[in-house]
Amino acid sequence: MSAVIPVGMGEMKIARSPEQLVVYGIGSCVIVSLYDPKSKAGGLAHVMLPDSAGLDRNAINPVKFADTAVQVLYDALTASGAFKSSLIAKIVGGSEMFPPTEDFENNIGRDNTEAVKKALKKAGLTLTAENTGGRRGRSIEFDLESGTIKISILGEEVKEI
Amino acid sequence: MQDVTNLTKTQLDALREIGNIGSGNAASALAQFLNRKIDMAVPSASIMNFNAIPALVGGPDKTVMGIFLKVMGEVSGRFLLLIPEKTSLRLLHTLIPGCDIDSPLKMGEMESSCMREVGNILAGAFLNALSVITQTPMLNSLPSMTYDMAGAMIDSIVADMTAISDKVLMIETSFIESEEDLRIHIFLLPDPNSLQLLLQKIGVC
Repeated sequence: MSAVIPVGMGEMKIARSPEQLVVYGIGSCVIVSLYDPKSKAGGLAHVMLPDSAGLDRNAINPVKFADTAVQVLYDALTASGAFKSSLIAKIVGGSEMFPPTEDFENNIGRDNTEAVKKALKKAGLTLTAENTGGRRGRSIEFDLESGTIKISILGEEVKEI
Repeated sequence: MQDVTNLTKTQLDALREIGNIGSGNAASALAQFLNRKIDMAVPSASIMNFNAIPALVGGPDKTVMGIFLKVMGEVSGRFLLLIPEKTSLRLLHTLIPGCDIDSPLKMGEMESSCMREVGNILAGAFLNALSVITQTPMLNSLPSMTYDMAGAMIDSIVADMTAISDKVLMIETSFIESEEDLRIHIFLLPDPNSLQLLLQKIGVC
């Protein structure tokens, strides 16, 4: 039985086949996934917020913020021996769980998704696949052997990207 | 801004007490419209790591009904009701004559509207009691509702409260209808920047 490693909010984990990374109950958060098919190593960053601008860089957890998390994940993965040239980037999440009412509007999921895409571009990484937006929560299983991400959404068929 | 991690025991006790009064009022409102006896668990006021909240309702992938309202006024915050599937179906069957859906996924407009009204009444009763004690009007927004994974709802609600700290202040209680083990979890999360004022109003700043 290979290890299944959960990744909580604001956390980052690096793993290698035959391990699996899993995230349960993703709402407005965005999961950034980088995978190197050559070394079969990959990592997930569980991003909660779009932007760390104006905050003290030394006091924050960089994985929480889209603008800092991508670089941190990239550095950690390449430091563990993954090949930079072959990295595959995918993202999942960024939904708006609660429909807007007259009194409030919640765009944090959309903002997170846009900010992550911007950060990937800035880091020179091409986004290969995504499953983002909508109003439903997601759970994922990231298989480090194949690089496939299985996405479970309540009341829907399991999807793979 | 008051840092939640610096709250003293006296301050937490006072927050727990307002949680007690607010949920007492909400419990009587629920008892009234269900025409049942409702027991209330002793509320807690605690500083929690946001990662630990989903475990309180059975884990991040546990599907529950979530009703979310914003608390508006000088003292602002967020109000979340998490209702397990069994309880939400029981509420619907009791409150809507002829309703016999067997999964919250099959809810139509009537059922959704009914659950939002439950949220409205409970939040209204809770905040009314708080407004009286603090002599500060606190109103709730219109409720928004979803049925999904608890973790997904919680991350959406706490995300922007956790930019600096991983800790949130949470006043939590649950209602229990003992005959059938029906439960409703209530969470009140005061906004960090109105916490100082709230403490002042209850005389423990």
